[in-house]
Amino acid sequence: MTDRRAGHMTATDGGRLLAFAALLCLLVLAALSAIALGTVAMPPSTVTAAIFQFDGSRDHLLVTTVRLPRIIAALLVGSALAVSGAIMQAITNNPLASPGLLGINAGAAFAVVSVMSLFGAGIGDLYIWLALLGAAIAAIVVYALGSFGAVGQSSLGLVLAGAIVATFLTSLTTAVLIFDQSTLEAVRLWTAGSVTGRTMAQARTVAPYILTGLVAALLLGRHLTTLSLGADASRSLGQNPVVWRGASVAIVILLAGSAVALCGPIGFVGLVVPHIVRMIVGVDFRWVIPFCALGGALLVVVADAAGRLVFGSQSFPVGVTIALVGAPFFLYLARTRLRGEA
Amino acid sequence: MAMDEEPSAKISGKGVDIAYGQRRVVEKLDLSIPERRFTALIGPNGSGKSTILRAFAALMKPSGGSILLDGRDLTDLSTREVARKVGVLLQGPVAPEGLTVGDLVRLGRYPHRSLFSRWSADDRKACDEALMLTGTTDLSDRALDSLSGGQRQRAWIAMTLAQQGEAILLDEPTTYLDLEHQVELMNLITTLVTKHGKTVVAVLHDINQAARYAEHIVIVKDGRITAAGKPDMVISSGTIADVFNVKTVVIRDPVAGTPLCIPL
Amino acid sequence: MTRLLVALTLLLAFLVAASLAYGDVSLSWRELYHAFTGTGDPDPQSAMIVHDLRLPRVLLALLVGVALATAGTITQAVMRNPLAEPGVLGINSGAAAAAMAVIVLIQDPPVALLQAAGFFGAAAMALAVYALAWRSGTSSLRIILIGIGLSSLATAGTTFLSAFGDIGDVQRAMVWLAGSVYDANMIKVRLLALWLIIPVTLAFLTVRELDLIRLSDNSAKSLGQPVDRVRGLMIVLVTVLSGAAVAVSGLIGFVGLVAPHIARRLVGASYAWILPVAALVGACLVVAADLIGRIILPPAQIPAGIVTGLVGAPFFAYLLWGRRHGHG
Repeated sequence: MTDRRAGHMTATDGGRLLAFAALLCLLVLAALSAIALGTVAMPPSTVTAAIFQFDGSRDHLLVTTVRLPRIIAALLVGSALAVSGAIMQAITNNPLASPGLLGINAGAAFAVVSVMSLFGAGIGDLYIWLALLGAAIAAIVVYALGSFGAVGQSSLGLVLAGAIVATFLTSLTTAVLIFDQSTLEAVRLWTAGSVTGRTMAQARTVAPYILTGLVAALLLGRHLTTLSLGADASRSLGQNPVVWRGASVAIVILLAGSAVALCGPIGFVGLVVPHIVRMIVGVDFRWVIPFCALGGALLVVVADAAGRLVFGSQSFPVGVTIALVGAPFFLYLARTRLRGEA
Repeated sequence: MAMDEEPSAKISGKGVDIAYGQRRVVEKLDLSIPERRFTALIGPNGSGKSTILRAFAALMKPSGGSILLDGRDLTDLSTREVARKVGVLLQGPVAPEGLTVGDLVRLGRYPHRSLFSRWSADDRKACDEALMLTGTTDLSDRALDSLSGGQRQRAWIAMTLAQQGEAILLDEPTTYLDLEHQVELMNLITTLVTKHGKTVVAVLHDINQAARYAEHIVIVKDGRITAAGKPDMVISSGTIADVFNVKTVVIRDPVAGTPLCIPL
Repeated sequence: MTRLLVALTLLLAFLVAASLAYGDVSLSWRELYHAFTGTGDPDPQSAMIVHDLRLPRVLLALLVGVALATAGTITQAVMRNPLAEPGVLGINSGAAAAAMAVIVLIQDPPVALLQAAGFFGAAAMALAVYALAWRSGTSSLRIILIGIGLSSLATAGTTFLSAFGDIGDVQRAMVWLAGSVYDANMIKVRLLALWLIIPVTLAFLTVRELDLIRLSDNSAKSLGQPVDRVRGLMIVLVTVLSGAAVAVSGLIGFVGLVAPHIARRLVGASYAWILPVAALVGACLVVAADLIGRIILPPAQIPAGIVTGLVGAPFFAYLLWGRRHGHG
């Protein structure tokens, strides 16, 4: 009919498989380069040696204790955010939806900020669990509220509930930070989102959740496509929207909650990568999910490396470089790929 | 169906090309819509009938050729001028939550009201008449999303009627209507043409319905017109087989005397 | 309907009076009356509190509420998205980036510079969004997506500055960004009122266009609306309204999102009613938020923008879920 075929290469399954393989190679290359580059540049051979034939030398230590965890965190967070963003856009049918819509970022930030304000900034790695807990509770409240009543019959309920809870929690958080400068000092780097300084232990803590979420999302692919058709269509196709929406939200909590727990709120990835992927690959979620995983991971790894190299600062908030790298590409696509009709 | 004089063309297109981006859907189309008649556009799926309707309603710009409304090029007319003369209803229109039937029909008066004009007796009469003709007067305070598909469709048609355009273009208007309301709609169209002098063009998917009610049939295939004229002249088993790929036998409708095609 | 308008106006009047009476120094209703009308034997201190401190603040809050609610109503109609608010056009993120830049990069910036920066940041972003979204016409979806893209860039800039700027500056910026009518005087009130007259009047005059553009592009065009031109005009209106509000009071969020929703629940789907009701609701929200922020935790003054989030959110939830609501 009047569909716009996205691009010759990705119009067929074979083409998509090829693109996926290419993206995967690109990702591996980017990750290795990111580990190899930095203030102490080292050849890729050293990197692989450090991973597989560790010999305790200073270079190898640098790789395993500083750079590798950082890249792994970037990979995990990028894929988690992009995939959870895709799921959110599917279940709410709204291009403005992102994982933050469930109140995940707001809940995590509030939990961390309020505990730090009450008990001081020296809570160490505990903040990861706080963030995860805050994110989960906020998202569950949003989901419960959003499914309740007549408004909850459509995806509008979830959207509005998310906006309400997120606004509420963000206001509370801002209120605390305005009056408590020491907490602001302690959290402001975290609230900007960063993959710096992540340790292997931290990455290992959240990795199981993220990996579980990714696998579940992959398995859910077909159902997500049906969900994205809207409540009426999905029900008529025999899908129980309550069950599947609930399952989707659970996966989003796992993925985005873990991401924000590990690296703080990182915007843009969850909102924009799904759009980019859909513009290139189409609306079949069996393809959207894996491409989002790779695309999100690639974006964060590249953005982090660019931040380190171009701006020369070790702790440049990755959220900033992600926007700088991703936004122009996204704007280009939005201009050229959309039809003229609303 | 009075067929005394040869009607002039209400809307006519010459050499019209219509494309979606790079994809040409309609090429070098010459089509005349006769005034004060009911014209039916029929053809297989994807033949371009809806696209042609859209272009003739000035909702799409042709990439080549020209379309004239009452002798004036569509591109020379403002959107408002076109809306005063032509009412169009496409498939699957969406209305915001909570909008009532009355609200929707009142929107149809937009092209006749300027920035400062108040709601006049003419406006109210037009809306009342539109509601009455479509049998939706009782529904005017109901919200559109609480109605059945058929009731909603009739409300949208009422809105188009409230525009009081001389021409009315409908894209598959019978889709959600049950038999009773399909017949009602066809009779309404006939009344609009014979009693109110309107020009009606409808894309219909039911060949027999088209043959029975329309005075002028245009068969579209692959963006081109394969035949145009009175039902008797245009509906034949040969044409149907050519265009729709279905073997049929064409007899006379025992009630109306119009062509009736029956698939073999 | 008119009963509702009267009720809302009375509510607003009550909130205004309460804002004038309550605060650090609370006046009794009689004292307020005397101070306001200059009759009786007014205590000069009360008169000063009412006229110089509170009256401008309340009036500013009222005007900001009207501006935000009107902008929000228009945005939701034009974008056909219940999540849409003027921020979608990048207005908020543009203003925030500009304001953050001014505060962090310039030592002790004068307030006027901050406001001008906020307004121009907002306007520049809206212009950029519109320009980039234009491609032989506009489409709501493209505007939304481009708005997201450009907002991300602006927010990235703001985040960068907040992460590395001087901590005191950043905190000050956060206060401003949180949205407050703290620094009010009658000059500002008059300026804002003058500035808002034309856009608000235009919005009310063209309210019919909103009903049409809320349908699809095709339906609106078939009814004779020059859709692209109307969309452009509406975006200009939203920018002017929202930009002015942001320049004066920082980012008071939520009002632009919630006021139209509340109005729709109260009066149905016709914008001829939604717009005035939303404007009144918006005014009530901001005036009430400022009042609550002042009296709830004395002597701390909680910025109105935070109160709208804290109080407005649950209230909105109650409205949506608290009672059985039917359609029509």
